[in-house]
Amino acid sequence: MSTGTVEKTRQTTMKKSQRAEIWRRFKKNRLAVFGLVLFVFIVLVVIFADFIVDYEVAVTQVASERLQSPSLKHFFGTDNFGRDLFARVVHGSRNSLLIGFGSVVIGVTIGGLLGAVCGYTGGTFDAIMMRILDSIMCIPTVMMALAIVAALGTSLENVLLAMTISSVPRYCRIIRSSVLTVTGQTYIEAAHSCGTSNIRIIMKHVLPNAIGPIIVEATMAVGTAIISAAGISFVGMGIQPPAPEWGAMLSEAKNYMMLYPYMVVFPGLAIGITALSMNLMGDGLRDALDPKLKD
Amino acid sequence: MEDGKILLEVKDLEVVYQTDESTVHAVNHIDFSLKERETIGLVGETGAGKTTTALTIMRLLPERTGRILDGSVLFRGENLLDKSEAEMRHVRGADISIIFQDPMTALNPAITVGNQVLESLEIHNVEKKSKQELEKRVDALFNLVGIPAERKKEYPHQFSGGMKQRIVIAIALACQPALLIADEPTTALDVTIQAQVLKLMENLKEELGTSMIMITHDLGVVAETCDKVAVMYAGEIVEYGTTEDIFTGEAHHPYTTGLFNAIPNLDEKAERLHPIDGLMPDPTNLPEGCKFSPRCPYCTEECRSRTPYRYEKNGHRIFCNRFEKEG
Amino acid sequence: MGKFVLKRLLALIPTILIIVFVVYFIMDLTPSDPGHLILGQMASDEAVAAKNAELGYNDPFIVRYVRYIWALCHGDLGTSWMTGKSVFESVMARFPVTITLAAGSVVLGVVFGILLGVLAAVKQYTFWDIAGTTLAMILASFPAFWIGMMLIIVFSLKLGWLPSYGTGSISHYILPWITTAGGFVASQLRMTRTSLLESIRMDYVRTARAKGQKESIVIFRHALRNALMPVITIVGMNFGTMLGGTVTIETVFTLNGVGTLLLTSIRSKDVPVVVGCIVILAVCYTLVMLVVDILYGFIDPQIKARYLKR
Repeated sequence: MSTGTVEKTRQTTMKKSQRAEIWRRFKKNRLAVFGLVLFVFIVLVVIFADFIVDYEVAVTQVASERLQSPSLKHFFGTDNFGRDLFARVVHGSRNSLLIGFGSVVIGVTIGGLLGAVCGYTGGTFDAIMMRILDSIMCIPTVMMALAIVAALGTSLENVLLAMTISSVPRYCRIIRSSVLTVTGQTYIEAAHSCGTSNIRIIMKHVLPNAIGPIIVEATMAVGTAIISAAGISFVGMGIQPPAPEWGAMLSEAKNYMMLYPYMVVFPGLAIGITALSMNLMGDGLRDALDPKLKD
Repeated sequence: MEDGKILLEVKDLEVVYQTDESTVHAVNHIDFSLKERETIGLVGETGAGKTTTALTIMRLLPERTGRILDGSVLFRGENLLDKSEAEMRHVRGADISIIFQDPMTALNPAITVGNQVLESLEIHNVEKKSKQELEKRVDALFNLVGIPAERKKEYPHQFSGGMKQRIVIAIALACQPALLIADEPTTALDVTIQAQVLKLMENLKEELGTSMIMITHDLGVVAETCDKVAVMYAGEIVEYGTTEDIFTGEAHHPYTTGLFNAIPNLDEKAERLHPIDGLMPDPTNLPEGCKFSPRCPYCTEECRSRTPYRYEKNGHRIFCNRFEKEG
Repeated sequence: MGKFVLKRLLALIPTILIIVFVVYFIMDLTPSDPGHLILGQMASDEAVAAKNAELGYNDPFIVRYVRYIWALCHGDLGTSWMTGKSVFESVMARFPVTITLAAGSVVLGVVFGILLGVLAAVKQYTFWDIAGTTLAMILASFPAFWIGMMLIIVFSLKLGWLPSYGTGSISHYILPWITTAGGFVASQLRMTRTSLLESIRMDYVRTARAKGQKESIVIFRHALRNALMPVITIVGMNFGTMLGGTVTIETVFTLNGVGTLLLTSIRSKDVPVVVGCIVILAVCYTLVMLVVDILYGFIDPQIKARYLKR
C-alpha cells in the first residue's frame, strides 16, 4: 500500500468516526429525533401519496358532497367544490416539499458557489458583490418573490424560481462569512505555504470545514421556504387551484372560515408540522455539529 | 511569625463536578487552615483542584454541575457551606474577595472601571455613606493601586492587561476584606508586569492586614509571598507545611521534589530540565491508592492499593508511604 | 458621530440605484402596458399606443431607468398608472396602518421575547427553558397567517371578543398584533437565550457575583447588557420587515397597509407604485438598521469609540 492510500484510508476512517460522533449526539437530543421521525413520516407520505389516496380524489369536484365536516368518509372534510380535503392535503405535500427543498438546494448551490468565490478571492470583486447583495437584501424576500412571480406568471416552476432567486443573496452572505472564518485559520495558511492551488484549497479544506453551518442553515431554510411559498399561494400568486397546495387551500378556506373552520385547520397543521420537523432537525444538527454551543 | 487567630479552616472538603456522562473528582478530602495576616500558597499543575477550592470557599461553583459532597469551610468559626445564598452575598466581596486569573475578561466591557469599583462599595455600604463619600473612596482605591483617579471614567478596553489587573485588585480590596483569594493573579500578564503586580499585592496585604490564599503553579511566586504552602495533586493536598518546610525541609513528597526539579536552575549548569514523566490522571477515573503512583519513581505495590500514610513532623505533613516508619 | 451617520446616509445612494435597477428589471421581464392601465380597457389601440409613446415606454430599458433615477433625484417618485395619484402620497396614505401594526407587534415581541429568553437562559434545562424554546419552535414553524386565522376563529367567531377585520379602533389591532408578534417572540426569545447563555459564562459575570451582587442585578446589569447586541439586530430586522408589511397578515385581517398596496400593484403591473413602494421600504429598512448601529454604540463603548473616531 502506498503512503497515499494509507493517508486516504486514515482520512476516511476519521471522517466516519466524526460522523458517528455527530449521529450519537443527534440521537441523544429527543426533540431532534422527534423532528427526524416527523420528517420521515412526511417523506413517506410524499412517496406513497398515490397509494394512500388517488390523485383524482384530490381534484374531482363532487357537487353533492360540498362543505362536509370531517367524518370517516372524509377525514378532513370537503371544500366548497366538494373536493376531499384529506386527499388534497396528502397530495399537496408534494408541491410544498418540492418547492421547499428545490429552492433551498438550488439557492444554496448558486449562493454557495458565489459566496465561496467572494469570500475566497476578496478584494474589489467581493466588495462590489457584497454591496449589490446587501442592497437587494433590503427588499423583503416575499415581495421580491411576488414581483418575480408576477412578472413570469403563476406556476409551480415560477414560484420555485422566484423563491430560489430571492434567497440567493442570503445564502451567499452566510456562506461567504463561514468561508471567511475558515480561510482565516492557520491550517489554510499552512496549505498555502505548501504551494497548494487555490481551487484545491477551496474544495479540500475550505468547503468541508464550512459545510456544517451551511447544512444547519439550509435545513432550517427549507421550513422557512415552505412557509413563504404557502404565503405566496395564500395571497393568490402561487400555484393555482385545482392543483392541491396548502397555501392555496388556506386562501380558499379564508372565505368559508366563518362557517366551516375545519377547512382552515388541516392545511395549516400540515405546513406547520412540516416546517417544525425541519426546524427541530436543524436545531439538533447544530447542537450535534457544535457541542460547545450546548452548555 | 506571630500567632494570630485562625481565620479560615477547610476541613475534609470533597467537591465533584457532575455531568450526565461522568463525575469529575476535583477536590478530594483536603484540609488546611489559615491564620489572620497569613498567606497560604496552593501550588500544583492545571487541573489539580486549586481553583475549585477557591470557588468552593466563595460558594461560586457552577450551579448545575458543582457539588460539595463532604467537609466544611469554617470562616471565623462559621461554616460557609451552611449559609444561605443571601447570607453568602454579605460575605462575598466584603469579608472574602477573589481575584481571577484573566484580567482581560474579568471586567465588564460595558461599564466604566470606576463604576465597577463603586459597585463593590455600594453593595456593602452598611454605613449608608453618601455617593460622594463612596466616589472619594473609589479615587483613594485608584491611587492605592497606582492608577490616576481621573481614569476612572474610562472603559476596560482603554487599559492594558497589567492596569486591568490593578483595577481588579482595587475591586477586590474595596471593602477591606479579611481574606483575599488570588487565583493565579499574574499568570496572564507579561513577566515584567508580573513582578509589579505581585509587589503591589504584597504591599497592600501588609498595609490592610489581609490574609491571602495565593493560587499559583509558580514556585517563585510562592517563595516571595507565602508563609505556608499546600502542594496539590489530583484534588489532594500531598504536602503541607511552612514555606521553609517545603523549600528546605529534608523530607518531601516525590511530587514536590519533581516540581522543584522541573525549575531551571542557574547555579547548576544542567544540560536539560527534569520534567515529571507522565500526565495528571484523568479526574473522572482516578487511580486506586496513591494518586501519584503511576508517575512516581518510588512507587511500590502498596502505593497502588492503599491510600498513603500521613507523615507529620512539627506541622509539616506529607502523604506518602515512603515516610511511614519515620512518622 | 455625525460623520458616521452622514456616511451611512450617503451609502444609501448606491443602494437605491441598485434596488431600482433590480425591481425595474424584474418588472420589465414581461412587457407591461401602461397605456391600457391609464386609459382603461375600453381605450382604442391608437390612443394606448400614443399614451405609451408619451410616457416614453417604448424607449429602451436603460433610458427609462436613467429617466426614473433622474426624476428620483428631484424627489419625484412618479404617479400611479392605475389611479393617477402621486406614488409618494399613495404609499404615505397606507403608512399609518403599517406603522401601527409594526410598532405594536415589535413592542410585544421585544417585551415577551426578551423576558422569556432571559427566563429560558437563567433557568436553563428546567421547565421554563423547555417550555420557552418549544413555544419559540412552534411559533417559528406555523405560518403567521394561519395562526391569525385560527385566532379569528377562536376570538372573533366562537367567543366574539374581538373584531376580525378593519381598522376602526385599537381592538381591531389586537389580533393582528398578537399574530405578527408570535414570530418576533420566537426569534427574539431564541436570540436572547443563546446570547445570554454565552455572556452568563463570561468572567466578568463571575466577578460581579464575587462582589456579592444580587443574582437579578448580575443578570440584568452585567450579563444581559452585553448580550443585547445580536438581540437588537434581530429587533431591527423584525421592524424592518414589518415596514414592508406582511402581505399575508394584512390579507387575513383585511388591513389596508403598504403590503396590500404592493400586492395589488404587482398584480396589476402598476410599475411606478411597485418601484416607489420598494424604494421607500428599503430606505426605511436602512434607516432602522442605522438606528440599530447607533444603539450598538450606547451598549458597547468600544464601538462608540470607533464611531467617534470616524
